[in-house]
Amino acid sequence: MKILSCPLNGPRNIAEFIYGGQVKEMPDPVHATDQQWAHYVFYEHSHIGVVREWWMHAPSSYWFIAERHNQSDEVLRTYDPSELFAQSEPQQSKTELTLDRPEVS
Amino acid sequence: MPFSLLKFGLNKDYPFEKSPDLPQPSALKPAYDVVIIGGGGHGVATAYYLAKYHGITNVAVLDKAYLGGGNTARNTAVIRSNYLTPQGVRFYSESVRLFERLSNEFDFNIMYSQRGQLTLAHTDATVRAFRQRAEVNKHFGGRTELIDPVDIRELVPTLNLSPAGLPVLAGLWHQDGATARHDAVAWGYAKGATQRGVELHQLTEVTGIDVEAGRVTGVQTNRGRVSAGCVVQAVAGHSAELAQLAGFQMPIVAYPLQAMVTQPVKPFLNPLVSSSALHCYVQQTSRGEIVFGGGSDPYPLYGTRSTLDLKESLMASAVEMFPFMSEMRLMRQWAGITDMTSDYSPIMGLSPIENYYLDAGWGTWGFKATPISGVTMAQLIASGGKVPELIAPFSLDRFDAFRQVNEMGATAASH
Amino acid sequence: MRHRLPLPFGQRIDRDVPVTAQFDGRDLPAFDGDTVASAIVASGQWVISRSFKYHRPRGPLTFAGHDVNTLVQTPDAPNRLADELPVRDFPTTTAQNVTGSLMADRSAIIDWFGRFLPVGFYYKAFFRPLGIWSFWERLIRWAAGLGVANLAITPRYNDKQYLFSDVVVIGGGPAGMSAALAAAEGGARVLLVDEQPCLGGSLTYHRFAIETTERDQLADQLVTAVQAHEHIRVLSSALCNGWFTDHYLPVIQGDRLFKVRAKSCILATGTSEQHVVFRNNDLPGVILCSALDRLICHYGVAPAGDLVVLAGNDQAWLSALTADDAGIKVAAIIDLRRGPDQTALSEEAARRGIMVHCSATVYAADRDPKAQALRAVSVRAVTAKGEVGDVIATLDCRVMAMSAGYMPAYQLACQAGARLNYDDASAHFCIEALPTGMFLAGSVNSVHTLSALLADGRNAARRALSHLGFTVGADEAVSCHAAVNHPWPIFPHPKGRDFVDFDEDLQVKDIVNATRLGYRDIQLVKRYSTVGMGPSQGRHSALPTARLVARATGRSVSETGVTTARPPVKPEAIGLLAGRRFHPHRRTALVEQHEQLGAQWMPAGLWSRPAFYGAPSDKAQRVVEEVQAVREGVGLIDVSTLGGIDLRGPDAAEFMNRFYTYGFLKQPVGRTRYAVLVSEQGVVIDDGVAARLAEDHFYVTATTGGVERVYQEMLRWNAQWRLRVDVANVTAAFSAINIAGPDSRQVLEALAGSVDLSAEGFPYLGCRVGEISGIPVRMMRVGFVGELGYELHVPSLFAGQLWSLLATAGAPWGLRPFGVEAQRLLRLEKGHIIVSQDTDGMTHPCEVGLDWAMNRTKPDFVGRRSVDILAKAPLTRQLVGFSLSTTAPKPREGHLVMRDGDIVGNVTSCEVSPTLERIIGLAYAHPDDAVPGGSIWVRTEGGVAVQARVEALPFYDPDTARQLL
Repeated sequence: MKILSCPLNGPRNIAEFIYGGQVKEMPDPVHATDQQWAHYVFYEHSHIGVVREWWMHAPSSYWFIAERHNQSDEVLRTYDPSELFAQSEPQQSKTELTLDRPEVS
Repeated sequence: MPFSLLKFGLNKDYPFEKSPDLPQPSALKPAYDVVIIGGGGHGVATAYYLAKYHGITNVAVLDKAYLGGGNTARNTAVIRSNYLTPQGVRFYSESVRLFERLSNEFDFNIMYSQRGQLTLAHTDATVRAFRQRAEVNKHFGGRTELIDPVDIRELVPTLNLSPAGLPVLAGLWHQDGATARHDAVAWGYAKGATQRGVELHQLTEVTGIDVEAGRVTGVQTNRGRVSAGCVVQAVAGHSAELAQLAGFQMPIVAYPLQAMVTQPVKPFLNPLVSSSALHCYVQQTSRGEIVFGGGSDPYPLYGTRSTLDLKESLMASAVEMFPFMSEMRLMRQWAGITDMTSDYSPIMGLSPIENYYLDAGWGTWGFKATPISGVTMAQLIASGGKVPELIAPFSLDRFDAFRQVNEMGATAASH
Repeated sequence: MRHRLPLPFGQRIDRDVPVTAQFDGRDLPAFDGDTVASAIVASGQWVISRSFKYHRPRGPLTFAGHDVNTLVQTPDAPNRLADELPVRDFPTTTAQNVTGSLMADRSAIIDWFGRFLPVGFYYKAFFRPLGIWSFWERLIRWAAGLGVANLAITPRYNDKQYLFSDVVVIGGGPAGMSAALAAAEGGARVLLVDEQPCLGGSLTYHRFAIETTERDQLADQLVTAVQAHEHIRVLSSALCNGWFTDHYLPVIQGDRLFKVRAKSCILATGTSEQHVVFRNNDLPGVILCSALDRLICHYGVAPAGDLVVLAGNDQAWLSALTADDAGIKVAAIIDLRRGPDQTALSEEAARRGIMVHCSATVYAADRDPKAQALRAVSVRAVTAKGEVGDVIATLDCRVMAMSAGYMPAYQLACQAGARLNYDDASAHFCIEALPTGMFLAGSVNSVHTLSALLADGRNAARRALSHLGFTVGADEAVSCHAAVNHPWPIFPHPKGRDFVDFDEDLQVKDIVNATRLGYRDIQLVKRYSTVGMGPSQGRHSALPTARLVARATGRSVSETGVTTARPPVKPEAIGLLAGRRFHPHRRTALVEQHEQLGAQWMPAGLWSRPAFYGAPSDKAQRVVEEVQAVREGVGLIDVSTLGGIDLRGPDAAEFMNRFYTYGFLKQPVGRTRYAVLVSEQGVVIDDGVAARLAEDHFYVTATTGGVERVYQEMLRWNAQWRLRVDVANVTAAFSAINIAGPDSRQVLEALAGSVDLSAEGFPYLGCRVGEISGIPVRMMRVGFVGELGYELHVPSLFAGQLWSLLATAGAPWGLRPFGVEAQRLLRLEKGHIIVSQDTDGMTHPCEVGLDWAMNRTKPDFVGRRSVDILAKAPLTRQLVGFSLSTTAPKPREGHLVMRDGDIVGNVTSCEVSPTLERIIGLAYAHPDDAVPGGSIWVRTEGGVAVQARVEALPFYDPDTARQLL
């Protein structure tokens, strides 16, 4: 089938990969409005154009990101997620913080 | 007797153009009361019901290619209402009832054949789900039962009851299940609509949607601008793309759905048969061909290309279900582009733009809903935007409120 | 035995090896190398089949498997092409789709009624009054279809193989061989795929010039060179049946499907010769010129009777010369044009005494009622495009060969996205907009003369080599001025039967009338009339249809186009695609133990698990006994399928905290916690137990069907969070056994182990790492079934040993294995949900009483915001426990919960509890009814409504005293 170039394993038959959904920018889960959050959960870039996606090479369980045109199916590039995501610090590791979150019943 | 055929033989050169099914191409008028974007089954059905039952005929149906050339031409023509949710079953049951009389409604033979649809359960979990679906379907007047392997063997003697090492435990037998000539549904509606004054404009692509102060005023096309009292988008497979033109987003992702067909053979299969575990459904058309469908493609694409991978796995499943099919010959593969929603239910009704109406999100469940979507969209338009109760659960804003209508598992194509 | 032509004709047959065959019950003398069709024609018969709609007699048109007039039934399958079946492999064939016999098909009466059956007639009738279609449908279904499927055959062995090549050349004719050689010489590895049993393509039958020595020498030379070249691999009798993205090519050879990945491909696929449209052009005996060439050159058959050649190009004249060389009497050459382009042809014809009529056409062919084949043709002058004048002659003949031109074999290129463009001047379609890495060579590229073909092949090779990164020289000039296409070889007849599409029995008026009815787009014409929808998928009908529709709708042929090319190129057996059909399934390390104990298996995802132990007929009783053993003594269950994921690293706890809903940062080492996973939509999707084995080491289980997904999601989230944690799926590496029941501690204590098993030393919900009888073990005290119990995770290597040890140690306490059925019942008595049984695609935590597991003091977890939004909205349903007397109709899982005539929920679990001696279950109910002591209505089998009592959960041991032992 189509060939997809894995950043780790090189060009492989696309049957070796699992599509993992679009890379979406998450709004602040604490302070976003309900509608903004719903929009994040249910919507994505779905008209014709270049999309950024999660793909996993199944045999090696390696997740990476691909930029692909969703009509021509051309894959513009694939790269390791570290290009987009920085190592995060464990938050409030040993302390319990109460944040000003909206009240839940 | 089909006496109506006599006239063709008795007249040496029958004047077909005197009573055509579809009109000759014509110029676009500057304005219409209703512009329907999308000349597929849903679009022309809406136009038909507007014209026939609401007296609204100043309607233009625009299609960028040819009548019914989108998913109406590409689906595998399964008509059923054995879904899971009450909202869904109520809706699809209405459609089944309309289908039963559709040929006579618009005077065009859609070759509607109610041969029953059988879905196979290979696990306990599926049996439970099927029992629920049977109950919901019965509640809304459908004929659906959970049946055991003995009954299944009687219905489909040629079926292998232990395919791929997954013995069939039970079956969801939906007697209301049917098939029809899918193209003819579009032609029948188009004929009925255009004979009543609706205009059908093929090769007319909408390139822009004019919105002023939250209202749509008209559409731009490759043949000029047209003013519109209201606009309906019924462009399954490109709904998100068109909405983008109108300036809003839809929670729809376009995935290809592939199908394939064999050479015709003499009839041997009556019911439509589907296996939940093998992700394969099979039916034999009136022409004798065996049509196969399966799950959606694994990743989104606005494309209708076929793949070898899917053909291999689908045919492997087919041979498991019907081993003798290994010697039958596949003749053609094709695909359609489906609007997949996260809850496997359609999106119908109002949009963020006041007089811009939606008929979208049809995934793999659109053809069977053609008549009822036409009826309800026509009601919506004729009432000036009052959403019929039957389609209220499918509103676009249900996602904002986390009020999905989840039909995953009851569709053939669920991932 | 009919006489066959001597060599050089009949190259494919072995005159020393006769074959006895039968067609339709009659003996068929043949030779090894014959096809069924060539043998039939050699025996003097032209009729092989009956057409789809009108049941008209049909015979071969192409002799190359490119038409479907030769469909026959073999013992295994219908719809096989007789001109492709080697008679040696298929000695017995019969006609199909006939009522009565092939020569006297009673269904041919439909032909007489043809005028009452215009195009699309079935759309206009058969549905009034309402319901009548089911009657007509049965008739039409029986009339439709070609052969009869053999429902009794079992699939044969089909396997698949992957191949990789720098250049794949499709077509082993002059251009293809030339391209393959040039590419191989240029340094590429070449795969040459050819449909025919021998290489050579058109060189083996097509006459390129009046004299044939050049062609013959070239054929030998090229074939020898190709076969000798070490960088060319040849697959003969191999069909490339499609093009898929990135030059992925399915090639079918025999019973094997090759999946070829090419870095570049050269299509030298040739052309489909086109027919002339005139009345009765479908008669057996009316064939294409190339068919006549093949019949003579490949099979050495000189058909009896006179031959008339109908020429739209010079190539047809050359076929006439070949026939003359073979001793066939050429009654006349009828040329649609004013005369041949090459005047030498006129001279040669005159020299051989062949009569010629120019500016003329065959207007109608006559049928011999006894042979059901051609007996004469009526020749008329051509006065204008598609119009005729006076009769010139009526010629007796038994064979008529025609050529109106050539349609490139565009299928593979167009499947790859290329477009067809019609040039009005030369009246032919050419292929443009090829994808990168695909090149054309030969007649498919509109090149027809021999030297040009070879040069074109070399050019294609150069381009392929360049694409691959090799340095190459400049292209050669290729000039080919052969005008091979007649612009309008269509002569409609008032009485019709002037066929455009042989597969579907469609005449000129059918195509034109479709447009008159308003079906103007070529796609609508196709769908309404079914033109091109038959097995040959438009190979001969596409061009005349495009021309007719263009004229009828006032557009150019280019604008009109042809319908989309889709795979496969030719019909392919489903078994080939299915291949060997492997069914992977997973079994735990304890499968032998279960077998010995008499386990009855049930599928759980890809796994098999014991449902219970004992004879199938004793199921109910055995399950009750297993439940009782656990409640009163001790039981053993294999829970390996619940999986195991190791999370290790300084940020392991932080990761757990963000991923699951509960709190894990403060989870003490040596304790387990309940791990619930929700999706980003806030839906409960998995649950398991998380054991903290060390500060930086968590070991987590899941549900049987969920482990894979949980693992993938963990990796995906950490690809974003990039915490310092390593996630390993150790499901296969570990096996897990659960020992449960009030006696379980004592059984374990009977085995030597390193862990203090006392209630204080190892409390409920604790976890310990140690060894049992030398077996390394991770132990957890869990409460799923509601009794004192231990879950023991050991490396799979030791699973069998541990099971045996436990079984032996447990014997004095009556230890019993129990299966999934008993486990389900036990957990139900405790009111524990099973994710994906008691939860569905919408269940959020509040609906199933899991709000307590949502830790809201930590900053965030996956799906948290969605869970909060859902928690704010009023519930629409809630999962409750219910019970009924055992005498009541037992609700089944899936039955609906009703309220005031509406559906408000459904039963998700329901069993007869031997412990409580009541029917118990879980169901979604209206939130207002979710009050213990209240009631809900369930609609059971046959619509019988029962009222069930709502119970607080758990049903059994509400103080969890038994778990806390």
